[in-house]
Amino acid sequence: MSGFFRRLAGIPWRDIAGDALSRTFLCVKAFCVVHVIDHHVLSLSHVRGPSMLPAMNLAGDVVAVDKLSVRFGKVEPGDIVLLISPEDPRKLVAKRVHGLEGETVSYFVDPGNSSASKTVVVPQGHVWVQGDNPYASRDSRQFGPVPYGLITGKIFCRVRQLFSLPLHSLI
Amino acid sequence: MSGFFRRLAGIPWRNIAGDALSRTFLCVKAFCVVHVIDHHVLSLSLVRGPSMLPAMNLAGDVVAVDKLSVRFGKVEPGDIVLLISPEDPRKLVAKRVHGLEGETVSYFVDPGNSSASKTVVVPQGHVWVQGDNPYASRDSRQFGPVPYGLITGKIFCRD
Repeated sequence: MSGFFRRLAGIPWRDIAGDALSRTFLCVKAFCVVHVIDHHVLSLSHVRGPSMLPAMNLAGDVVAVDKLSVRFGKVEPGDIVLLISPEDPRKLVAKRVHGLEGETVSYFVDPGNSSASKTVVVPQGHVWVQGDNPYASRDSRQFGPVPYGLITGKIFCRVRQLFSLPLHSLI
Repeated sequence: MSGFFRRLAGIPWRNIAGDALSRTFLCVKAFCVVHVIDHHVLSLSLVRGPSMLPAMNLAGDVVAVDKLSVRFGKVEPGDIVLLISPEDPRKLVAKRVHGLEGETVSYFVDPGNSSASKTVVVPQGHVWVQGDNPYASRDSRQFGPVPYGLITGKIFCRD
């Protein structure tokens, strides 16, 4: 019994604690640096869903997201952006920008059934976003123009197709 | 002339470069750690303007901003929040939350001149914000309910 305690006292606890602490600090510092880059410069993201077919896969794509352009206001119509959904703040959605503030946007109100269209002027500080697949997308046609502050990044590159499905198998 | 170049060659350039690089890395790491805390945990901010009188000063207040509550959805009516302005994404504004999604909010349309009021239901994913000083505040009465994603922090303490 006393041999056990003697062995216990012989373990260099202080050194182990010092080592553990310095390695934890190293991990924390590395995490913070990576996080700052991921949040403000460049990020990877997994997007999936039918709203951006055929540009993006139904089953999912890993894409590279550029955060700098958004901060400097270099978002243009035609860009695909990642934004916080105005309907659910815990969701990030990918949509294409169709109009910036002050521009006029026309869209079909009911693309499958009628050719009626509406024209709208995008208010100050907002953008108009639409999914490429108008039949399966909730976008500005439903929730209106989106404040620019909700845009978190611009998708500029597809890194890898996960489980790519040929289009003809969806029909 | 050759003495000048000889002195120039005698300076320990490699050591200086090595030192400079390691100190730069140290600064970068420290900045990143501080930035992560500032962005996601706790921040200090200077807010000024007439829209939140008398709660906040016209000339400016340094306030502590809690970022964690917003991430966990713990924002309630009565809280003062910092949010990106829906009219100008480069501006951060401080307003008080008056209603969460699904709640009914009533407000005076023209507080100085008439007592007409409007009632509105806050849509899903949005909040209704108003400044404490209704005569000098642009808030949800002008730009409508604000998506929750625009809220960046909750002001909880004033220096």
